[in-house]
Amino acid sequence: MKIDFVGKRYYFIALSIVLIVVSLISIFTKGFNVGLEFIGGSELVVKTSENYTVADIRSKIASIGPEFKKARVIEVHAIGQAEEKTFSIVVSPKDEKGALRTYKAEEKGQIAAKVEELLKGKVVSFNEVSGDAADEIKNLTWKAVVFTLLGILVYVALRFKFAFGVGAVLALVHDVIITAGFYSIFGVEMNIAAIAALLTLVGYSVNDTIIVFDRIREFGRKYKGKDMANIVNDSINSVIIRTINTSLTTFFTIFMLLLFTTGSIKSFAFGMTIGVVVGTYSSIFIASPIVIRWVKSI
Amino acid sequence: MRSDRVRLIVSLILLVAAIVAMLLPGGRQAKGLARLFSRIKLGLDLSGGVRLEYKVDIEKGVENPAAVVDDVWTVLRNRLDSAGYTEAVVKKSFRENNSFIIIEIPDATDTTKAEKLVGSTGLLWFGQAIDERDYDPTVNPDDVNLALREGAQWYADKNGKKWYLIKKEINNRKDLVLVGPRVVEAVPTIDQKGVANYVVSFTLDRQFVELFKNITKELYVPEQVLNAGTTQYQLALKKRLAIVLDDKVQFVGFVVSPIEDGRGQIRGNFTFDEAKELAAILRSGALPARLEKTTASLVSPTLGKDVLQQSLNAGIIGMILVMVYMIAFYGIMGIVAAIGIIYALIIIFGFLAGTGAILTLPGIAGIIFTIGTLVDGNVIIYERIKEEIRAGKTPKAAIEVAFSRSFWTLFDANLTTIIAALFLYYFGTGTIKGFAITTIVGIFAAMFMNLVFSKFLLDAMAGAIRVRKAGGAQ
Repeated sequence: MKIDFVGKRYYFIALSIVLIVVSLISIFTKGFNVGLEFIGGSELVVKTSENYTVADIRSKIASIGPEFKKARVIEVHAIGQAEEKTFSIVVSPKDEKGALRTYKAEEKGQIAAKVEELLKGKVVSFNEVSGDAADEIKNLTWKAVVFTLLGILVYVALRFKFAFGVGAVLALVHDVIITAGFYSIFGVEMNIAAIAALLTLVGYSVNDTIIVFDRIREFGRKYKGKDMANIVNDSINSVIIRTINTSLTTFFTIFMLLLFTTGSIKSFAFGMTIGVVVGTYSSIFIASPIVIRWVKSI
Repeated sequence: MRSDRVRLIVSLILLVAAIVAMLLPGGRQAKGLARLFSRIKLGLDLSGGVRLEYKVDIEKGVENPAAVVDDVWTVLRNRLDSAGYTEAVVKKSFRENNSFIIIEIPDATDTTKAEKLVGSTGLLWFGQAIDERDYDPTVNPDDVNLALREGAQWYADKNGKKWYLIKKEINNRKDLVLVGPRVVEAVPTIDQKGVANYVVSFTLDRQFVELFKNITKELYVPEQVLNAGTTQYQLALKKRLAIVLDDKVQFVGFVVSPIEDGRGQIRGNFTFDEAKELAAILRSGALPARLEKTTASLVSPTLGKDVLQQSLNAGIIGMILVMVYMIAFYGIMGIVAAIGIIYALIIIFGFLAGTGAILTLPGIAGIIFTIGTLVDGNVIIYERIKEEIRAGKTPKAAIEVAFSRSFWTLFDANLTTIIAALFLYYFGTGTIKGFAITTIVGIFAAMFMNLVFSKFLLDAMAGAIRVRKAGGAQ
């Protein structure tokens, strides 16, 4: 059985363009739910056995201080935590000049005690990131992103002919934009773990593309003179099972991580889960069909 | 085949090494299967605890910033120790031309106390020690009364083993109180008197020279007096100089000559490290630099336990799914992959236990991701084997071809992930480094499992593959 991937490529390209446009619109209008590491401030994670809603929490903690009136409150879900509810409260305490500040030692104790009293719960985590630290983390994270992308570009450039390189890079850009778009659309926290997911995804997704491209080169040499579209289609058909199997096994583990965990690691699992699906899709339906246009000979 | 025997031996050696690394003594208390993981160091995000990071604000023009950071380290270490946080780890870190101090306190459930310790300015003072005890005198009525009579107070030394009765007013003179002196220099130096010991040489700021001169004149005990006999010696014992930091006695000793110029030497049979520490304490009764809190995190041990349990569940279920899928799809070869997963995981955990690398929550995520990608190599190789068998090769030959052709594909595929992980390790902060570590270790374990460990298992089972195929063809 042979599936005509190449013949239907315009449908898939159209679908991808729609996904990319939707993602970009969401990223630029709604933006990201940026994690504490990048914006700075304080986060309290509270566990309570009371059946509060996010709105309840907001109104209860407003009295603690001015920054708590503008707190970001998120309920944290995970499988197997039915009896207790967990909430994350993020606040940005300011000093007299309006700059972000960290709490003093005594202040922290008082705030934690107050939150526990008001919510009849327990503060299980209290994290702070100063403005300077957030700037530094942002700066370092940018470097990690830029260097990783450069590293992979150099690798792709050395490894492939120009046309294949363009195909691989386009597929990567495609994967990253759509995965980032999902973060924005679903309001999943964009934190360091999420960036780690995006970078790992870049490294991982390029693998699937490499497998297809290698096969195209192999078949191209074997069946010299044959129509390029046919060669590409045959190549995709011959590697599709292994592409699906490698992605599926990764999907199994990473999806379980998404189901079972909470907090920053859920952000990682979310990006990986979406990314593995999008990356596999792009290696099969996007990366290879678009090289046909440029490749005249192998 | 001979090469298979080599593969088997290498694989077994690695396996045994990994298991030995996991079972060596010195791990946490654990029962049953958990003992296997007791030597793997858990990050604070899993074990629970407090992590504080401070930027050391060093004034411009300071000649040796590293020395300032050393002093800060020593002061904080002392404060944490004397507050009972002996489990705490204090680390120095340098990034982007800035110096940081990181304090990690496992199992701590509140940050306030630790932050207060760091935040306090620290008070250094010189006093007069008039008596000493080898037990805690604050619970002994006689000793308490003695302190009241003398107008002095009992202070424990920094190890909490000795107690000294100390007066802030030297010889009861209200004008001889030296609290918060500024020490401009204090260094460990080799004892000039030819003994292979270290002394601490220090210089007081000009404004304290006169006061210190008067104090040392009051407490001065000529050396010959010390050797003159018991009675004299007993009297001299009441005239010792005490150096106290944050109400912990750091040093008590005789003043063997009045110090006129603010430059003194403290002699006490110090090793280099002791002398260095005392020098730092003198230099930095108050912290020598301002500390600015950059990040603070508290994870309660219960949350850490929950998170660990959640991620373990995810990992185990994910692993079972992968194994079931591989066996369902590839039969005999799938069993090899399933055994391979266990093998690679043992290697990964063995590496973590053996090197003392810290396993964080992102690190576990890295391992779980690795379980998913471990078998990618198997899939790539198996698909090739199937293809070659379909093309008419015997299973043995198919396995040979598949392995030789798949090596570079696997190498390529893993290289890109390693690039990403390496930059994450280099630029990553905090726990995310743990992800980079387990991902990289996982990739190497996976490649070894795919190319070496699976190869001899497959070769051994090649017969089974052929029988099935041949049966189908007949």
